Amino acid sequence: MRITILNGDPNPASDFQNYLQTLSQRLAAFGHTITQLDLAGLDLKGCSGCFGCWLKTPGVCAKRDDSEKVCRAAISADMLLLASPLTMGFTSALLKRAADQMIQIIHPYFVIEGGEAHHRARYASYPKFGLLLGVGGGSDAEDIEITTAMWKRMARNMKSSMVFTAVANRAPEEVADEIALVA
Amino acid sequence: MKSLLLLNGSPRGERSNSMKMLSRVGEGWVRGGGKAPEILHLASRPGFDRAVDAFSQADVVLLGMPLYTDSMPALVKAYIEALAPRVAAAQSGSANPTLAFVVQSGFPEALHSRPLERYLEKLARRLGSPYAGTIVRGMGESLQSMPDKANKKLWACLQTLGEQLAREGRFGETELKAVAGTERFSGFTAALLSVAVKLPIVQFYWNSQLKKNGAWERRFDAPYGPAFRP
Repeated sequence: MRITILNGDPNPASDFQNYLQTLSQRLAAFGHTITQLDLAGLDLKGCSGCFGCWLKTPGVCAKRDDSEKVCRAAISADMLLLASPLTMGFTSALLKRAADQMIQIIHPYFVIEGGEAHHRARYASYPKFGLLLGVGGGSDAEDIEITTAMWKRMARNMKSSMVFTAVANRAPEEVADEIALVA
Repeated sequence: MKSLLLLNGSPRGERSNSMKMLSRVGEGWVRGGGKAPEILHLASRPGFDRAVDAFSQADVVLLGMPLYTDSMPALVKAYIEALAPRVAAAQSGSANPTLAFVVQSGFPEALHSRPLERYLEKLARRLGSPYAGTIVRGMGESLQSMPDKANKKLWACLQTLGEQLAREGRFGETELKAVAGTERFSGFTAALLSVAVKLPIVQFYWNSQLKKNGAWERRFDAPYGPAFRP
């Protein structure tokens, strides 16, 4: 399987980075193709709500930045793993910057799905979503639950579903094995 | 007189739907006896920096934002991260202001914004701040296209919420419910809408702009993979 990891840790020297490295090596050893994008090193201009990607240059962010790389890697993957430490009770602003720009992979038209208003698909298929959270000081079970609830809704709006969530407080090999089962 | 720091967290800045709603709440605040608010736009660098510095000096902070991919915009999360020192400050006895929020989304139903509302309520607890409530409103994008007259009832309700914030230190449940509108479609409404969304008139807002921008023929472009075919 092709797994794209969006690494939203802004700190290049953190334990979470090491954790991710061990995890992705293990997944690669299983024969999965891993594409890891370290968001801190990308040129992401952020979404300013211009709707250019829906109404001017359909499917592509009008800012022409590395959000194209992120979206291409997401669409071509079987699984998109969102990885970030929790700060102030949620994933990083860096991960959110990439996610905000992902509206270019869906279409503005409204559709009704599961009794709710959502947007129309732009692509024939979308990756399954996974969420990996680093928990440092000050995060509790409620933070993890609320964070997961928001990303589950995001997955749904991206024509997908969250198939995996984990907290990086267990051995990375163990978590990699679980990902391998659902990817 | 109590002071209000009014923060617009929309990446669109001054001309945003969030700001339209925040202005009305600010008007109500003044009518309710509060001091004229200091208004800052997080989308401008000086506004962002000033908002970090001014946070602890205000009696009440009202932070408004659009729902972006089912949570706060990255800009607002960056602001919240900049407030991290205030968590420790609160623990060592330095009080944080009362927090109130506005979340507006493009979806018609309020349910899309509820997980973010939970986060914001928890954020207030994290900062040791009294929580005044979160105004949730769907159909935000229509604020842009509808004449002000059509929004008269909404504006009045937002002003009342601002008055309540000044007088009682929190939003009234009845008004919050009225502004939120439809929480979730009934089965009947959902079935009706499933048919209605196939009519071009329902997508008129998007279609007219696609045509104006000369992007109509390219509207289903899928540059990163095979396109969806219904």
